[in-house]
Amino acid sequence: MITFDGVTKRYPDGTVAVDSLNLDIPDGKIMVLVGPSGCGKTTTLRMINRLVEPSAGRVLLDGRDVADANPSRLRRGIGYVIQQTGLFPHRTVEDNIATVPMLTGRKKADARARARELMELVGLDPPTMARRYPHQLSGGQQQRVGVARALAADPPVLLMDEPFSAVDPIVRAALQDELIGLQARLHKTVVLVTHDVEEAIKVGDLVAVFRPGGRLAQVDSPERLLGAPADDYVRDFVGFDRGIRRLSFFRAVSLDLATDSVLPAATTLADAITVGKRAGEPWLLVVGGDRKPLGWAAVADLESGPPDATLAGADLAPVGHTFRPEADSLRAALDATLLSRTERAVGVDDGGQVLGTTSYERLRDAIRAAEEAADRAADPVGGGR
Amino acid sequence: MLRIRLAGDADMQWSWIPQNWSIIWPYTLDNLLLGLVPPLIGLVIALPVGIACVARRWLYPPVLSLSSAIYALPSLALFVVLIAYTGLGNLTVIIPLTLFSLCVLIPNVVDGLRSVSEPVRQAATAMGFTQVRRLVQVELPLAVPVVIAGLRVAVVSSISLASLGQLIGVSSLGYFFIDGLQRDFPTEIYVGLALTILLAVLCDVILVVSRALLTPWARGRRIGPSPRLAWPVAGR
Ligand SMILES: Nc1ncnc2c1ncn2[C@@H]1O[C@H](COP(=O)(O)OP(=O)(O)OP(=O)(O)O)[C@@H](O)[C@H]1O
Ligand SMILES: [Mg+2]
Repeated sequence: MITFDGVTKRYPDGTVAVDSLNLDIPDGKIMVLVGPSGCGKTTTLRMINRLVEPSAGRVLLDGRDVADANPSRLRRGIGYVIQQTGLFPHRTVEDNIATVPMLTGRKKADARARARELMELVGLDPPTMARRYPHQLSGGQQQRVGVARALAADPPVLLMDEPFSAVDPIVRAALQDELIGLQARLHKTVVLVTHDVEEAIKVGDLVAVFRPGGRLAQVDSPERLLGAPADDYVRDFVGFDRGIRRLSFFRAVSLDLATDSVLPAATTLADAITVGKRAGEPWLLVVGGDRKPLGWAAVADLESGPPDATLAGADLAPVGHTFRPEADSLRAALDATLLSRTERAVGVDDGGQVLGTTSYERLRDAIRAAEEAADRAADPVGGGR
Repeated sequence: MLRIRLAGDADMQWSWIPQNWSIIWPYTLDNLLLGLVPPLIGLVIALPVGIACVARRWLYPPVLSLSSAIYALPSLALFVVLIAYTGLGNLTVIIPLTLFSLCVLIPNVVDGLRSVSEPVRQAATAMGFTQVRRLVQVELPLAVPVVIAGLRVAVVSSISLASLGQLIGVSSLGYFFIDGLQRDFPTEIYVGLALTILLAVLCDVILVVSRALLTPWARGRRIGPSPRLAWPVAGR
């Protein structure tokens, strides 16, 4: 647990970078500090490992004031990753990663073996990469080395200052995914600084939104940040499409899928037309004997065919997009629906068997219900936002 | 001033070389020593001074002004002044050459240390390096290419300036210039000249090779500012 207790940082030139900050960062979680440029995120981060000393207040690590710790020893227990990587140009990749273990007195061979383990952990191939120098790596690879180096001594706390800002969007997304994967295994207490709300919402268990002047605007889970922004500043900051993005946090299981318009291929056209009319559905999903989707039949077209023929012989429109209600979010279901020609998407289970189909109406109802439930949870007293 | 006849082969008597090997060799060796000792002493002094200048920023401007002033002094004048204190010995040559080396080396040590980027410095601190450890394990190794660039300039100028020592009787390749001039015997002057250049090139190559060996990480990568001074300044 990292605790900021009434922390203020005033630089010698009078700039107040952080203003009376109170913040708890729980163990084993990713806390993202986000906010516009100059709002004191980096300063906040650096007060944890004492690269910056507070002007007032205390920073506690597991209940102990970091100001009482020996700085070098404190820092060896806190991983630190920065945007510019700060890799040592004169050390090979493995020796860069082995830095802290060597500092703490581990034998070189030991430390290098550990470095190679970590290279595997962050997705770098030791035989080809271990002996390279940092300038012989791509930006994304350098950033991976930076993460491995920070993890080498297995510190409980990891500080990351815009770790992925310098790489292109595709690499950034991959690195974010890797961080999430790593964290699932390592359970570090991670404090990550970014100015990118998307990144904050994607990787954060908790997000602290700063406003200019180094004051805290809101600390909350990403869902609640999107669902219940504390004020107009946060609302603007998290962005105009927060409604859509928020759907990522609602699971698609809540969606009431249509099942009566799903018919086996052996159904006769006459029966199919009856079903379609009764359900008021212009499209029927045709499934095979294994309940896998074959395609969509348009009720209007069926009427021109012989009534006793089966759906197996009918012209079918492509299945379009599928999603898995158990695993995917409402946003994925919405996407799949919007992108399908029939304005319906197919929900399937892990085996690819059809569970049911969506429609705009069904999605709208599910979104409303999910939002209401979330808002009730966010604001138990009732009343508006 | 000098009346050297620029002429063809007629003036070069190749046979003089093997006949006088026994005097050529010791003068060359002495010149080499005078070329190497001052830069080495200079390095030993420049490292702590440079480190101090980086640690205490206000120190650097006065140190830089002082060393520029020293660099502007004619070496012969320095020799003459020093004779009063150190006599006609090696020290009288070594001291001024050391001062000149310092003028080149201090800025290079400072530039070398400053070439270490802020993120690297900060990362080192954040990983728990103490200041001394950071200096020894990170900053100094990274300064090596720039320091060696300064060393090359210092060594080459010392080798060439060492010949002036002969004017006050300190043994160096300068002997052949003075003797050749007095006897109106160009061969000797050419030999002295050629050997001076040879020594300079040899030392320079050794330094370049040692830099490559010391800094395998710098291969194929441009580091830091270029040496402050180009080739040794003529006309001292
Ligand atoms: N060493 C310093 N001396 C004086 N002022 C500083 C110093 N470091 C930062 N500041 C100021 O403190 C404020 C907060 O800086 P900080 O670097 O913490 O912001 P940030 O949120 O990390 O911004 P960015 O997103 O641009 O990195 C800024 O106004 C900055 O100019
Ligand atoms: Mg910052």
